[in-house]
Parts: sequence; structure tokens; C-alpha cells
Amino acid sequence: MKLARITALCIALLMVFSLQVRSQSSPAEAFENVTIHTADGNTIESGTIVWRNGVITDVGKNVSIPFDAYVRDGGDSLHVYPGFIDGLAQWGSPDVPDVDTSERPGDPGYKRAGIQPQRRPASLMKAGADALTEAPKHGFTAAGLGLKGQMLPGQVDLFFMQGNKTKDNVLESGIGVLAQFEEAQGQAYPSTTMGVMSEFRQLFHDAKALNQQEYYFASVSSNYPPPQENKTLEALYPVMDQEQPFYFVVDSKENIERMFWLQDELGFNAVLISGKEAYKKADELKDRNIPVLASIDLPEEPEWRASQKEEGEEKEKEKPAEEVQEVTEEMRKFRERQQEAYKAYVQNINKLIEAGVKVGYASNGLDLSDIHKNLKTLQEEGNLSGKQILKMFTQSTADVLGYGQKLGDLEEGRIANFTVFTKSFLDDETEAQYSVSNGQIMEFESSK
Amino acid sequence: MVLFVGMSAEAQITEKAEYGKFAITNATIHTVTNGVIENGTVLIDGKKIVGVGQDVEIGSDYEKIDASGKHVYPGFMDAGTQLGLQEIGAVDVTNDQAELGEFNPHVRAFTAINPSSVSIPVTRVNGVTHVISMPVSGRLAGKATLIDLYGYSPDSMAVSPDAAIHLNWPTSKKGGWWDDRSKEEVKKDYKKNIKELNDFWSKAEFYDKMVTAYEQNPDDKQKPDADKKMQAMQEVVNGKVPVIISVDAKQDILNAIEWTQKHPDARFILAGVQDGWRVAEEIAEAGLPCLVSTLYTPERDYDNYQRPYQNPGKLHEAGVKVAIATGGVENVRNAPYHAGFAANYGLGKEEALKAITINSAEIFGVGDKLGSIEEGKQANLFIADGDPFEPMNHITQVFISGNKIPMVSRHTQLYQEYLDRGPQKNNK
Amino acid sequence: MKKVLLSIFALCLSLTGYAQETGSVLIKDGTVITITNGNKADTDVLIEDGIITKVGKDLSAPRGVETVDASGKYVMPGIIDAHSHIAAVDVNEWTNPVTAEVSMEESINPNDINIYWALAGGVTSIHLMHGSANVIGGQNETLKLRYGTGMDEMRFDGAPRTIKFALGENPTRVHGQGFNVKPRTRMGVEQVIRDNFDAAQDYKKNRQAYLAAKEAYENGERKNPPVPVAKNERMEVLVDILEGDIWVHTHSYRADEIMMLMRVFNDYGIENFTFQHANEAFKVAPELKKNNAYTSVFADWWAYKFEVYYSTAYNASILNANGVKNSINSDSGELIRHLNHEAAKAVHYGNTSKQDALKMITINPATQLGIDDKVGSIEEGKHGDVAIWSGHPLSIYSTAEATYIDGKKYFDRSEDPNDMRLEANPETDFEETDKRWYNENGRHGKTCLQGAKIRFTKKGMKYKSN
Repeated sequence: MKLARITALCIALLMVFSLQVRSQSSPAEAFENVTIHTADGNTIESGTIVWRNGVITDVGKNVSIPFDAYVRDGGDSLHVYPGFIDGLAQWGSPDVPDVDTSERPGDPGYKRAGIQPQRRPASLMKAGADALTEAPKHGFTAAGLGLKGQMLPGQVDLFFMQGNKTKDNVLESGIGVLAQFEEAQGQAYPSTTMGVMSEFRQLFHDAKALNQQEYYFASVSSNYPPPQENKTLEALYPVMDQEQPFYFVVDSKENIERMFWLQDELGFNAVLISGKEAYKKADELKDRNIPVLASIDLPEEPEWRASQKEEGEEKEKEKPAEEVQEVTEEMRKFRERQQEAYKAYVQNINKLIEAGVKVGYASNGLDLSDIHKNLKTLQEEGNLSGKQILKMFTQSTADVLGYGQKLGDLEEGRIANFTVFTKSFLDDETEAQYSVSNGQIMEFESSK
Repeated sequence: MVLFVGMSAEAQITEKAEYGKFAITNATIHTVTNGVIENGTVLIDGKKIVGVGQDVEIGSDYEKIDASGKHVYPGFMDAGTQLGLQEIGAVDVTNDQAELGEFNPHVRAFTAINPSSVSIPVTRVNGVTHVISMPVSGRLAGKATLIDLYGYSPDSMAVSPDAAIHLNWPTSKKGGWWDDRSKEEVKKDYKKNIKELNDFWSKAEFYDKMVTAYEQNPDDKQKPDADKKMQAMQEVVNGKVPVIISVDAKQDILNAIEWTQKHPDARFILAGVQDGWRVAEEIAEAGLPCLVSTLYTPERDYDNYQRPYQNPGKLHEAGVKVAIATGGVENVRNAPYHAGFAANYGLGKEEALKAITINSAEIFGVGDKLGSIEEGKQANLFIADGDPFEPMNHITQVFISGNKIPMVSRHTQLYQEYLDRGPQKNNK
Repeated sequence: MKKVLLSIFALCLSLTGYAQETGSVLIKDGTVITITNGNKADTDVLIEDGIITKVGKDLSAPRGVETVDASGKYVMPGIIDAHSHIAAVDVNEWTNPVTAEVSMEESINPNDINIYWALAGGVTSIHLMHGSANVIGGQNETLKLRYGTGMDEMRFDGAPRTIKFALGENPTRVHGQGFNVKPRTRMGVEQVIRDNFDAAQDYKKNRQAYLAAKEAYENGERKNPPVPVAKNERMEVLVDILEGDIWVHTHSYRADEIMMLMRVFNDYGIENFTFQHANEAFKVAPELKKNNAYTSVFADWWAYKFEVYYSTAYNASILNANGVKNSINSDSGELIRHLNHEAAKAVHYGNTSKQDALKMITINPATQLGIDDKVGSIEEGKHGDVAIWSGHPLSIYSTAEATYIDGKKYFDRSEDPNDMRLEANPETDFEETDKRWYNENGRHGKTCLQGAKIRFTKKGMKYKSN
């Protein structure tokens, strides 16, 4: 009788334990007493965030923390932001090797021409690259990584940013195929934009023919030449079938128009990368449903403008005689136009957002250390609020990458990607203290 | 157009120039320095003009050339070319205008002039009778020469064998889109170049001082070592031979002007001067003459489209003496058209005519010999059926140093042969 | 094929309002140089919605149409430059001796200040050409200088397709000398052309056979699927040339190579071709005439290369006298500013009449570009592409005062501000001047080889002029 009850109890307990084992392969973690900033602009003071198995289980004020959670106390001085997502970065990419030959420029072969859409960042990335460890310190917990190269450098793989472990942490491979109007290196075809355009067309024709041949080969039992494998062309099939978009790097209005021409002819989907003049084509981008992963690499402020600002602060500054210049009418008009152009570039992203274009963020080679000053300029002159910038770095980019439900915000059920800063993320003195990516936490030493 | 039948196309010009006594009668004479003479006569005896006017007595041994309805002008001068030094731009071995090295004051264009250059007859039949031809490379490129476009040797062609020295002013700006030096690097390079120039120049001044002192009184002195370059610089630093400074950008012009004022003994001329209209006052104040052209695209992409055409006029307005210099070789014949554009965009026909005749002559110290139709001057002149700036008019006869030039060039010879190929005209 | 798609697309765009803008204007009391119908003193030209609707005396302006007084002035068709490289992003896809697949229509830079400077010289249309590094270069694009619009809007609607060939020193130097790739000699140049025409004919045959078999397969004949012949952009263009759908404009100088090309074209049945530059064309004027060949020449450039050492500025006059349809072009951002003056040189060198000289920059280049039904003369029904000149256009003392394209004014000397750039560069300082490497002064631009020379040299090496 007692044995039966004990057995039953044991079984019950075992079941309970086994249930818990099934539902918890690792313990939970939590931050409490932190200011939580969500992507849509809300702030939760003295909040708590809990995550387990790489997923956020709870976010809010007065959240009940599971008994097995490892808790860190933010002391009401730390700020939690959704992990920033860089839609297209070159972190970890090997440099483009120098070309050592100029033989037969007209027939350089795919590699020399820069046509390598099949290359995977996950295979070629340099695991120990500095940028990979620096990126989380700037708040990035996920990124689409691409390779440096010419017109078709390779695939874009989506990674969890985990320092030197990033290479093994692919969230999704091949979210897109990188495409650029970049000429072949050294002396090889194509060496002009029109040449690159023709090459795009020809590649599609060749891929179509190969695909057709594969189809025919499969459909007959004999008497048909086997198609030669061609990894380069085969990498274009999903683009042709609109299963993978081109991540197309273009900046000028004219190049964006050229991309549109190619899109109409070849029928691919596109995500526009960088787009420094994209605002000029905002309406058409919206009509074509092309999202923009915008660059924040802004032009240098004109010298005269920058020094005028300085002078405004120190009125009695002595300047050596040669540098004091009389401002003629012609010079004044020139500066006016220069300023107009400067403002137009700086307000690019704002205009895109206002026109209803989906705008996310991509560094596309911009140094991590340059981000902060450009964000300041965007706030001061670019008509973007801190909230808009935050959204662009998080939810908006997640949307563009197709992870709008899973990444980009702090919400129950989303992947645990977030950064804990010592101050507001836009503050000059702010530092990242923790980075959580796919639930894995990294702690950083203070630089002070 | 004077026709010479029976010439074979590719042959050298075999016609010889007539030389002797000529009387050009019934012409409208544009003397340049003494107004326009209607129904006038110009007498040429040998090398010189010996009579100009309406009531000039014509000796019986003078060959008369009736120029009724036509105009006589002084031969035009192009004050900046590489004519005779370059034959075919793309064929390196035919080009002698760019010696190696940065400082070559001793290198003389005079020695390398090819009197048989195909471009010389092509040029002179369009009214350009004498030119400055200059070396172009490095900092101090060498000595330019002033030559008549007729003669069988550089010696017989030269009006002034060493008419000027050519200095390429170091620019403080970037070279172009391919120049990816940083601002600091550009500044550094500029300072270095200026220093090299100044060092060379002071060395030359010092050398001149030593040699002059020695020559005046050799006692107690050691004879300075011979130094070809320094010897060549002597006549430059003491002002005997002027310096042509090629410079275009505004700041460079101002820097160059400042530099010239540190050397009051030498004589300076600016060439190119594309931004000149911006600093015309400063150039005028410095008293520097300018060698300019008009057929180029504006210096800055936000410049008004007319600036190149207006440049000579604006300089002149401020008080600068301007002369036409095309910088060309095979199309120096277009110098009159550079002048015509300048005339149309502010310089005016009269001043434009001076800019291509008397001004350049005076700038190079031969104003007593060339540049106008005056008794005693060298007979460089031409007869035209109208305003020579107008391409629709034609030059009918050219005289250079009294030689009645055969109005023939490769271009006219090919015209003769091929205008109508004759009965055998169809090959296949 | 590409053109068809583009036309459809352009049509769609035009329906959405991207159509090229037109205007209306009445230009009164000028001396109208019609080109095809003599000069008419004190005559009016009425342009409505971009088309010349009436040329006559005492016309009155319909409601809303501006009147411009041209008394004492000359009205001439806008100048057409049959050889230009302004408004281009790249000029030369020099990397292969044959690059028929590329097209200057994809290399347009609508923001080039040189466009405005050309308008200021009375030019309304240009033939934007591929460079001369290749034997068979890329396709050209005929444009109207609609400054301030975009790439699509600058296209000359309905202009026939043209392509650039090049003979002589340029391709043999770039490919043969530069990379040991044929051609190295003029002999090789001929063989490159013939080889590629033959290959195109083979391609056409094979591709059509494949497409037919493919269709059969799709209609049920499943037993023998064909081996696909990929569509080849380069071959398609060569086939179009052979079929007469693309007119050939050939950079050429020597008489012997001009003869060679005519022989080749006759062998392959190519009928519409223009020789560009053609400095020695005068030597074979009768042959050119016999073959209905056109020429488009410089007024007086020569001696910069050996193949133009035996040139004559009388070239245009000789060709004209022998009945060859000749035009005068610029091949330069500098000469295009005064093509009227270049045309006057045809009067200076030889017996060309003033009227014929003006044809060389209006109706003749229009014919060579296949747009003579639309522009090149002032006739009712043609486009309102005209310029008003202060005096006779061939006089060096005349200036262009206003330039109209499709009746819309693009240049007015009395309202001409200094800075006419479309785009300012936020990073370039005032004094720095956005200096272009091709600051042209005479032949130093070497524009036909633009791009090729740069690729040869290391980045950062000085551009070697001459």
C-alpha cells in the first residue's frame, strides 16, 4: 500500500521532472530593474526581461521571474534595446585578392569577372575578424553578412552576431544574392556599367538555357547530352524564380533606374542596399514594393559650414590671414547649393519613410566607429527622431529580412536578441555591457 | 584659292618662294598701329616693308600685285605653340618638345625645330606667319624660340632664337579625378615644388652675381665653375630673356604673381591664365601680360559657358595686355579664330587684331620688327578677301620676311589631286 | 527585342506622365534657314505642342502661346552632332575586340554640364557613341539634349538603332599591342569582322532551330527535346546588324580600310553605313558615292596620329563635290560648343557653299542617324528643335541666343545664370573646382579612346595628354 503510493508519487514526480526536462533544456535568464526600450518607441521603467532557450518568455514591469532563472540586477541604470540588425554588412569578409593577370581581358572567366553568386559567407568568412567581436559592442545581435567583391560577390547569409563564434551561428543561409554595378577588377570584362548590365542579362540567358537542358535531360531516358554542372549559373535559379531576391547595391538615381530596367527585363525581386539618392525614386520604389536597407554613410559636412559652427561657439577666434576669405556673391551661391545638396543626402532616409517606402539599415562597409557621428547628424539635420532611428535599426530591418515576427523587438515569443547599454543608445558616453544573441549572453568590460 | 595644277600629292612642296620687290596696290591696309588706309600700297623690298600709304611711289622694277577689293594685314603671331617640335602626337619618336628632367633652362627649342614639319605650310597659308615654339615638360622646361614660318634651317627661321624660358607653375590644386592625394599631401607637394623652384632660382641669381663680379674684376677672385644650366639662367635672372609662366587656376595665378614680385629684375609673362578673368585686377596691377586662347571648356563646371571666350576681353578691360597663344601644333592655323571669338565676346575686333599682331610682338621684344604694317618693319603680312577672323573669307597671299610664300600645303595638294580624280576615278 | 520591351515600358511610363515635355512658341520675323527650302526673310515659325505647325509670314500666336521677336536674327534647325561622348558615364567597354551587346543607352549621364554648354552653342541632338577601342564596339544612342530631365526622357524616340565599329590604329593598339589579342594589324581587323559576322549567321541558324524544336516539344513532341542554345546578347546584335536593323557607324581614317569595310559590307549585304572621321575619305569619294556610304568628319583635326597624317581640311568639300552625304561632327565637348563655326570651315577650305555647310550640321547628320523625317530642317510637321542666332550661323560674330527642343526653351542667353549644374557636390570646395580630366583644348581630349587609356594606367597615374 505505502509502496504503491510511493511508487505513484515517484512516477508522478518523475513525470513532473521529465516534463520539465522536456520543456527546459537550459535554465532561464533574466534582467530586472532595467529600462526597456521597445522598437515602437515605448519605454518600460524598472522593467524585467526573461528569456529561455533563445526565446523571450516575458517582458514588462512586474513580471514574475521563473525560480530557475539566473537574474542580473540592472540597478535601474541600464538600458535594454532590441538587438540591432545590420541588413548587409561586410564583417568578416576576406578582402578581394589582387588580380595577377591581364591575359585576354575579354574572356576572364567567372572568378576574374567577379561573378560568384554561389559563394557563401558562412564558408568563407574569417571567424576571428575584429568586426565580428566589435559589432555586438555596438548593439548588433544579428546581421546579414555579405562578401566583398564585384558584380556578384556571393550569397547573403543571416547570422547571429556572437563574436568569434558567429561563423557557426547561421540563422538562415541565402536570404538574398548580392548584386552590384561593380566592374571586374584589374583589366577584364565587364569594365563599364553598360558592360555589367549586359553581363547580368547574359548570365540569366545562360542560366535559363542550362536549366532547360537539365529539365530535358531529366525528362528523357537516353540520347541526350548531360548538362555540365555550373554552380555559378545554378546559384541564379532561385533569383530567376523569385525565390531569392537580389540584394542590389545602388546609390545614384540613374543606377536605381538601371536596376529597374533590369528588373523589368529579367523579373527578379529586389532589396535595395545603400540607396543614398533613393529618395528621388521613392514613389517608384514603393510601387515596385522594393524595400531599402539604407546607408547612413553621409557626406562630409562642407568645411566652411563646419568652421562656421565652431566660430559660433568661439567668437573671438584668431585666424591666420591667408585663411580669412572674403565671401563673394558667387561663392555664397555656390555654398548655398552645396548646403542644399548636403541636406538632401542627409534627409534621404526621412524622405523615404515619409513616402511610405520600407526602410531598414545596412552598413554595406561603413565602419562601426563611424555610426555614432552619422546618427547624430541624422538627428540634428536629417529630421529623424531617436525613436525613428531605433525602429529603423530593429523592427524595420527585421521586416525587410522577413523576420518581422521573430526579430526586431522585445516581446514574448521573439528570439532573445537584445543589448544592454549603460545609457541611452544615442548618448555619446553609452557603452554596451551585455549582448544577448539567440539567447547566448556576452559580457563586455567597460572601457572606462 | 590659288591653284597649282600637275602637283603630285604626297611630295614635298617644291615651289620656291619669290623674293625681291613687290608692290601690293589698291588694298585696304590694316596697319594696326596707324589705322586703316583705304586704296593703299605696301612696298616690299627684300626682307622689309619700305613703303606704306596712299601716295607711295612705285618703282618700275617692282612686281605689282593688284589687291583691289582685298585687305592687307600684318602676319599673325601665335605666342604659344609646339610647332616644329612635334610632328605626330601619338608617335613618340616624332615629338621633341618634352625633355627629361625638371630643370632644363639650357635646353633650347631652337635646336630641335624641324623646318620641314608638314604643319608649317599648313599654318602659314592661313595667315599665321611667325610663332613662339616652346618646350613643355618639367618645371623649367627650356628656352622657347620665336620663328618665322619660312626657312630651311632653324637659323634662318629664327627671329629670336631664345625668346623666352618656359616655367610650368606648380599647382596647388589636385590634378583631376585620378589624383587621390589627400589635402595635406597636395599642400606638402606644393610646398616642396615651390621650394625646389626657389632654391634653383636663388642659386641662379647667386651664380649670376658671382660671374658678373668676376668678369668685371677678376682680381682676387676665383673663376666660378662652368655650369651650363646656371649659365643659361643668367640671361633669365637679369631680365634679358622673359619667363613665360604657364598657370591656370585662380589661387595659382595669385601665388605666381606674388612670386614674380620677389624678383623685380626678371621679366615675366603669364600663359594659359584660364581663371584670369577672376583676378584680372591683380594681374593688371602686377603689370603682367597674358598669353591666352578661347577655344577650351570652362575651368570650373559652375562657370558660365562664355568664360573662355570672354577671358581675353575681361583681362583687357582691367588693363592687361593680352596676346593670342593657342598651345597647339597642327592647328595653329586656327589662331585667327581664337582671336575672332575673343573679339565677339568682349575684346572687340580692334583689340583682338592687336592681340594677334602687335601685342605679342611687343611682349617678346620684337615690336620694332613685327606686328604692324609700317615702313622699316619685317615684311610679314598677308592679303585676304575680307576679315581674316571670319572663316568664310580666304587668305590669298602670304609674305614672310619678304618671301612671297607659295600658297600650297599638304592640304591644298591633296585637294588638287582628289577633288576630281580624273577619268580613272572608279577603282572597282 | 530589348528595344521592344523598352518601348513598351517607355509607353507605360509616358502614360504615367514621364512623357517628354513639349512646348509652344511663335518665333517671329527672323530669317528662317529652312535647310531644305531655302532661306526665308521676315518669316515666322509656329511651334505647337512640340511640332512645327506653320512656317510663313504674319502668323499670329494662338491663345497662351508666347511670341518671341526674332527680327534681325536667324532661325535655324537645332544642330545635330553625329559623334559625341558628352553625357556619358563610360565611353569604352574596351576589354574585348567585339562588344556589340553593350549599349550607350545604359551609359547616359543626364547631369553632365557639357549638355548645357552644347545647348548654348545651338545643338539640340547628339549621337552618343561608344568609344573606338573595339573593332565592333557597343551600340550608340541618339539623344535630345533635354537638360534637366533623366535618362529615359533624353532618348530620341523613334531613332533607329546604330552601332560603333572602329578600324585602324585604335583597336590594333588596344587589343593587338596591348594584350596580344587579335587584331594587331588592319588585316586582322577585317578578319575579326568577318569571323564575327559568320559566327552570327551560325548562331542565328542554331538558335532558330532550337526555338523551333522547343516549340515543337511544348506542343507535344516529347521524344526529342533539343539541346538549348542560350540566347546570346552579342550575337543577337550582330544578327540585327546583318538584317539591317542596326546601322553601322565606323570610326575609320585610311582610304584602304574604308574600301575594306565597304567590301565586307557588300559581301554581307549591309546597306546603311556611315564612316566617322574618315580623314582619307576624300581619296575614295567616288567609291563612297557608288556605295551610298555616308561620312561624318572633323572640320580640321589631323596629324595627331599616323593614320591622319595624310589628311586635308578640304575633306568635307571634296566629299560634298563628289556627291557624298557628309556631316561635320565634334567628337569633343569643346568643339560641340561651336559646331556652327566648324561648319564654316567647310566654306573656308574648298568650294562648299554656305547652304551646303549648314546642311552638314543639320539635315545630313539627321539622315545619317535616320531621324531626318523628324528633325534637321524647319518644315511643317517636323519637331520644334530650333535655335535663334544673332547673325548668320556661319559667322564667327554670331552667337546662339535661344535653343528650343520640342518647342520648349532649354537655353536663353538673356536668362543664363552662371551655375547651371544640375547636381551640386556637397563635398567639393569652391576653389577646388570639380576638374574633369578631359578639360579639353583641341585634341587633348582624345575622346574616342576615353576610358581605355585610363584602364591601361594604374589608378592614380597621370593622364598623359598627346
